[in-house]
Amino acid sequence: MGSRYLGRRIVQALVTILMIVLLNFVLFRMMPGSPERAITRNPSISADTKAALRAKWGLDKPVFPDQFASYVVATFQGDFGLSFKYRGQPVTEVLGSRIWPTVILFGLGEIIAIVIGMGLGAYAGWRRGGVVDYVGNGISLVLYSTPYFVLGMFLLVIFATTLGWFPTFGMLSAGAHYDSFIDQLIDFARHLALPLATVSLGLVGLYSILMRSSIIETLAEDYVQTARAKGLRDGHILRAHALPNAMLPAVTIVAIQIGYVIAGAITAEVVFNWPGIGTLTVDALSSRDYPVLQGIFLLLAVSVVIANLLADLVYGLLDPRVRA
Amino acid sequence: MHVPLRARAARVAMSALLAVGALLPAAVPAVAQEETTLRVGTTQDLDSMNPFQTALVVGFEAFALNYELLVAFDQKLGPAPGYAESWTANSAGTEYTFKIPAGKKWSDGKPATAEDARWTFQLVLDALNSEAGSLCLGYIDPDVKNAAVESVSAPDAQTLVVKLSRKSDRILQTYVPILPKHIWESKDATTICDDKFDPPIVGSGPFQAQEWQTGQNVRFEANPNWTQSKLAPTEVILTFFETEDTMAQALRNNELDYAQGVLSDQFNQLKGQPNIATTAGEANGFTELGFNTYGTGTGKTIAGGGPSTKALLDPLFRDAVGYAIDKPLLVERVLGGYGVPGTTQVPPVQTRWHKEPATVREFNIDTAKQKLDAAGYRLDGQNRRLDKEGKPIVLDLVFPDSDSTYPTSAEFIKEWWGQLGIAINPSQYDSDTLIDLMLPPEAGDYKADYDLFIWGWGGSADPNALLEIFTCDQIGNSSDSLWCNEEYDRLFEEQNIAPTYEERKALMDQAQDLMYTEAPYHILYYDAALHAWRTDKFTGWANQPENGTPLFGYGPWGYLQLRLVGDEPTPGPSAPGAASPGASAPPGNGGQSTGSSNNTLLIVGGLGLLALVVVAGAVLVRRRSVRTEEE
Repeated sequence: MGSRYLGRRIVQALVTILMIVLLNFVLFRMMPGSPERAITRNPSISADTKAALRAKWGLDKPVFPDQFASYVVATFQGDFGLSFKYRGQPVTEVLGSRIWPTVILFGLGEIIAIVIGMGLGAYAGWRRGGVVDYVGNGISLVLYSTPYFVLGMFLLVIFATTLGWFPTFGMLSAGAHYDSFIDQLIDFARHLALPLATVSLGLVGLYSILMRSSIIETLAEDYVQTARAKGLRDGHILRAHALPNAMLPAVTIVAIQIGYVIAGAITAEVVFNWPGIGTLTVDALSSRDYPVLQGIFLLLAVSVVIANLLADLVYGLLDPRVRA
Repeated sequence: MHVPLRARAARVAMSALLAVGALLPAAVPAVAQEETTLRVGTTQDLDSMNPFQTALVVGFEAFALNYELLVAFDQKLGPAPGYAESWTANSAGTEYTFKIPAGKKWSDGKPATAEDARWTFQLVLDALNSEAGSLCLGYIDPDVKNAAVESVSAPDAQTLVVKLSRKSDRILQTYVPILPKHIWESKDATTICDDKFDPPIVGSGPFQAQEWQTGQNVRFEANPNWTQSKLAPTEVILTFFETEDTMAQALRNNELDYAQGVLSDQFNQLKGQPNIATTAGEANGFTELGFNTYGTGTGKTIAGGGPSTKALLDPLFRDAVGYAIDKPLLVERVLGGYGVPGTTQVPPVQTRWHKEPATVREFNIDTAKQKLDAAGYRLDGQNRRLDKEGKPIVLDLVFPDSDSTYPTSAEFIKEWWGQLGIAINPSQYDSDTLIDLMLPPEAGDYKADYDLFIWGWGGSADPNALLEIFTCDQIGNSSDSLWCNEEYDRLFEEQNIAPTYEERKALMDQAQDLMYTEAPYHILYYDAALHAWRTDKFTGWANQPENGTPLFGYGPWGYLQLRLVGDEPTPGPSAPGAASPGASAPPGNGGQSTGSSNNTLLIVGGLGLLALVVVAGAVLVRRRSVRTEEE
């Protein structure tokens, strides 16, 4: 039973990815302007040079079937083509150096937000009407409604420019020489602090609000009343009975959130000049680097699909009913 | 054992606080950068380290640090010793002999000779003579072509002889980086385009790139074999910013020493800050209001396209409406006061070449009305200005979405010209779509379907590129006014082959006057280059040229003027230029390379994150099983 559920989910995910690969091709060929304008830039360039560049990027052949076929084959071989902007650097190389900074920033941000946000939400909902509920809910609403770049700029001006506690930009002090790996790690952590705080705070609000309402809903359930009647301790009822059920909608939201996190990534990374996928997207957009954008789009779409697949699996783990 | 939720939350909060506390050695940064590092910020992101493959100002800045030009630019943009220390011309002015200093070395210690310069110029000549006709992106080779270089030879290690096909002094202003032959000799004019020029770079410029972290920064180290002057910075770090806001904050926070291109409101805020100096230099470019004059000089028309009225082809009409553009007000309102009202196509920052027209059109709606009436463009009963065919003049004004000042300027012009009875319909486009809309049939299947446009141009070291866009040849290529004037073409050709500066300047003056009078463009303004820098580490900041900026000028001149605070030169024999060889610090990189250790850090970070997820998963699963046992 379980394996059939798993199999069905994986097949669905694979079909979605295939559709994304196809859509990716069509989408970036519908963009305005001709690609060689992005490659050459120089209006006075000779026709021969233009032709040579078109050939290098495979634009000299017809879109269907030649360009399409080579795109599909190359994509499944992990070859996303050559960057326009970085003058023919492979897209995989360009993307490669930018993935980890984003994974670390948003991975840690998500984990912190999940722990704090859900913890806060659960406690606020459990002690509904209490001080934590009032204050926590108020703060959560403010954080939830504040865009990342506003939050980021606010933190930057206070903690970097005014107080001077943290650096303003980047992932490491540019050109710094480190005596030891620990020094480097501390430098990295100091650079990470403000972007991470921005991302986590941005997400804490959402998770807390969600968890709070989910817990309040669960508290009205019969099994919680029963547990109380049985004389179980309060904390135990929350952890063992209310939380696991309240977690179900939260898991879905976290997974769906991955897509939105990427959108937030762009602004948070841009504020702190964090060298991740977000800043790369902005650069690629402004320089019309379609191959890089195509690579980013595919990467993001596939991550959302995978996140949703994982959510489905975790959901199955948390709630045996969905496995049926 | 169950720990109460509140106690556990307190414990988590405490450890989080401790962790944050550990990151806060506020007064002393965790990692000291070199005291002599010059940290430069820009909002451009380097596209290529290959000098022939960059299209950006930051790319030119990078290669001008890595490599020397044969002849450098001094503060007034005149010729100064570069790769060659001196030069002479034959009496006919058709052959130049350059002296390369004896004992000159590349940054790797190999001898730098005339042969390297010969090889580099030959590479460009080969490209010019090839079928493609240009070298890679084609930004460097026009200088060699316009300098009329016919052949280059290196009779000995210290002598480079350049033969020209006509008398010309433009070989002294060619923006060609001299490359080390021993590194690049296996490449030709085609294969060199595919090379990424991965650092560390070997060059003869004052600083060589050691690492390039794409999208983040480039780190340069002082050339250990630079003997021309004392280099105050031992290291230059060029950081690429996504936003001007963060860059300005970084400058205030003393994480940068120089910020190129801040916005006007940030500029105003930075002005009053301690230890910060600013300059509103003039940019080498302009923003124009252009007319679609397709058919001028050729009589051609486009079915279903082209200008909506023949009035646009009439210089009297274009001249008259020029009086209804209040350029000083645009500078004030649109640029926040940072800019200069525009006149001719060669910006005033080109001090050697700019020519101010004898009479400048002063804003006056009444003058504009009178001139329109006199030229035969009358008002009808509904106060609409009619063209000579009796049709009300209604003009489509197009502009790209790349600059927020364009729509604002468009609204002002709409209002002023409305007072003349001329209606304007402004619309904004994506720049690629706009190019397709504006191209004429000469470029393919296009219709040049617009009347007016607002857009901008940026120039090169030589003003040729900004002059060329008005030639008839450029219709279907870079010309967007589609203007064609035989007299202008003649002046352009003649100035391009003029043998001396004086003769060229005289012809270029005429070309500027003609463009201003005929007005295919009304140059609205020359934008300002707003730069800011710290004064507490380096001193000696000087603009190149005087109305320009300290850095991002022409070659490394601005970098060479810098001195450490407290280390200013005393008048006398120790002044710049007399510094002892090897005065700058050696480029030893003091341990591990930051590039590779970055990757290690990322991998360790990634693995740590993965471990965290696995542990979290394990805890979750374990909690489930414990719960099951309990119930």
